[in-house]
Amino acid sequence: MKPLRHFTTLTRLWAASLSDHIIALTWSPDGRYVAAAAIDGPIQVLDGATGTLVAQYAGHRFGTMALAWKADSQLLASGGQDGVIRLWDINTGTVLSTLEAGAMWVEHLAWSPAGDAFPPQQVLASAAGKTLRLWESTGHLLRSYPEHPSTIAAIQWQPHAPYLTSAAYSRVALWDITSDTPQRDFQWKGSILTMSWSPDGRYIAAGEQDATVHFWFAKTGKDLQMWGYPTKVRALSWSADSRWLATGGAAEVTVWDCLKSPAGSKPLQLRAHDQLLSHLAWQHRGPWLASAGDDGRLALWKPARSTKAMAGVRLHAALTKLAWSPDDQCLAIGTALGTVCAVATPP
Amino acid sequence: MPTPSAETRVPVTILTGFLGAGKTTLLNRILTEQHGKRIAVIENEFGEIGVDQELVINAEEEVFEMNNGCICCTVRGDLIRILSNLMKRRDRFDYILVETTGLADPGPVAQTFFVDDEMQAQVALDGIVTLVDAKHIWEHIDDSQEAKEQVAFADVILLNKTDLVASADLDRLEARLKAMNAAAQIYRTHNARVDLDRVLHLGGFNLDRALSVDPKFLEPEYPFEWSGVYTLAAGDYALELEPGSDPSMDVVLLPLPEASSEALEASKMPTVLLFSEVPQIVHPGETILPAQRLMQLQLDERAMRFLVHLPQAGTYALFTEHKPEEFQARFLHLPSGIMAQPMLQHDYKPDHQHDDQVSSVGINLPGDLDEKRLNAWLRDLLSTKGTDIFRMKGVLSIKGKKHRFVFQGVHMLFDGRPDRPWGKEARHNSLIFIGRHLDRAALTAGFKECLA
Repeated sequence: MKPLRHFTTLTRLWAASLSDHIIALTWSPDGRYVAAAAIDGPIQVLDGATGTLVAQYAGHRFGTMALAWKADSQLLASGGQDGVIRLWDINTGTVLSTLEAGAMWVEHLAWSPAGDAFPPQQVLASAAGKTLRLWESTGHLLRSYPEHPSTIAAIQWQPHAPYLTSAAYSRVALWDITSDTPQRDFQWKGSILTMSWSPDGRYIAAGEQDATVHFWFAKTGKDLQMWGYPTKVRALSWSADSRWLATGGAAEVTVWDCLKSPAGSKPLQLRAHDQLLSHLAWQHRGPWLASAGDDGRLALWKPARSTKAMAGVRLHAALTKLAWSPDDQCLAIGTALGTVCAVATPP
Repeated sequence: MPTPSAETRVPVTILTGFLGAGKTTLLNRILTEQHGKRIAVIENEFGEIGVDQELVINAEEEVFEMNNGCICCTVRGDLIRILSNLMKRRDRFDYILVETTGLADPGPVAQTFFVDDEMQAQVALDGIVTLVDAKHIWEHIDDSQEAKEQVAFADVILLNKTDLVASADLDRLEARLKAMNAAAQIYRTHNARVDLDRVLHLGGFNLDRALSVDPKFLEPEYPFEWSGVYTLAAGDYALELEPGSDPSMDVVLLPLPEASSEALEASKMPTVLLFSEVPQIVHPGETILPAQRLMQLQLDERAMRFLVHLPQAGTYALFTEHKPEEFQARFLHLPSGIMAQPMLQHDYKPDHQHDDQVSSVGINLPGDLDEKRLNAWLRDLLSTKGTDIFRMKGVLSIKGKKHRFVFQGVHMLFDGRPDRPWGKEARHNSLIFIGRHLDRAALTAGFKECLA
């Protein structure tokens, strides 16, 4: 990447090293810790400010796949290829519960957010194969939903509403925590790889195997399809104000303006990578969009201002995961060789 | 996404076959004999692997439809997910084996390796190995679409459980399978015991190997079973036939420049094309004239006589749909009644149309191809006939290119790359299609049009 005018080369705040490809990377909600999982199993809890190893867990036999912090930052849930979920007590480093997810490959975990719309006691949703389950933080199984017709590709809690959203082949469904029947569903005959609600709850966006992005307007159920991507779309991220949706599926970042409707509009194209994007992450509240690529590059953008990268750095291995700290001051990066490092947000 | 020129991708072998055909036995054999290698096994949920193996992953055969540009195909979503995870690991696998359930259509699993960019960059379909239970296959082969497709998709067929079947029945079975899939290597096995070199590391592109083992396989099946060359005086003749197996017989009678096997050979392909045309109906008692056209002799219960008028003396070739002896055919000079004897005659391998239209079409042509025309033809062929073409493989000589171009495909999907240089070898094109309702004449004619 040619240094541009006003381009800041980021320097690393700290770095840590795991055994293999970083498959999950997440900050504790209080910003004190970063949890990272290697694809071959081990999980590390690192100090968010220094990168110092706080705790190391064996993780899962055959490999860890997902991590999720409870809102109180005291409990870390992990899921793996062994078909179980473990709840780790961050203070003692012990496993509080080992839960049977109902199938091998626990690929997705999501704690219900803290907030008025959600159950007062946070619940954990798990997806393994076609099985969607809900757990109390004590490890008590709250509900095992009827089997999905195909493997669940993504789960997320709907913003500002107490519904759990699951995406699988040809369907996005909303589930009440007290009922086995979906409250709503959005159908489209396509293979969903990833799904993301806009923070304001207006849209659901899905990245698809057939190199398209699908949008649903949550209120009406109307949908839109965006095509023209060179390959399957695995990365999606919404800006905090829900105006911009950044999408992968190419080496360029494609950003749709969703202020009204992206229908018929021409997206912004952000070019800094020369290989496919692996992860995109908008800040929780701030204006920065971070893009990570198989080329080892990290680029930071303010797409509303410029389509040129404003800051970045290149690492020695393909980047796999990005995670902004809860205060947006720091960005953690995971690589295919097991490195985790952090950079400070430019001014 | 560019295809790597040196093969660095991890090879994948797909094992298919009906329940009880011996897939698990073969899997266990591979794992035992290749114990030094890191082999990942992706098996269906009903499989049972005896070896203590850490790298066995159960897959549920999740088939989904995918739009890939203008092409619609079905792929295995579970495989993409599993392989994508496996390929991210630092300790890479030496080999991946995918076992399918007995009733699986091999199409989606094979297409998975062509349609997903990530898969194509990292793993390569090495071969499809189909196990056939030599005793019980007869129960399925006539009416099970899956059994037929498993045979049609195979690079290698293991005719297993041979101990349970008489050798004459094995010969019959092997001929039947060969008629459906001329490109597959067929091995007879007991307890799935086979030299692993014959099932692993086949190299998806290795058509030479197929050619070297069975050089006959590209010899096309013709729409006619017999041809004869006659040198005849001008005048009237009669073709007399007795009732036979069919109520009609297609024939072509055309002039040849000379009575030689070269001249007969040269007229063969044009005649194949004539046989694909709508025939002119000829009833007994009517007259046949030598012409570049297909005639259909209408045969009924009685002995029949067709008149043949030759306006001038010369050499003529007669191509017949069936062997003349099946109808005790006689070619007589009139009015003498002397039987005309062919100077040359040739029997051809019959078309295997009885076999549910699952067949192979091989094309072997010397010369160079025009790349543009070839692409246009392939594009059109795959978009109109892709669902019926199960597999295709070939080695092509593209005009202006020093290297051989090798390719293989599954349905509409296609993976090709330059191979070694032609060097001193005569430039030629060999390709084979395996599929349902294949039109040999049309495929041959279409491909010929692509010659530069």
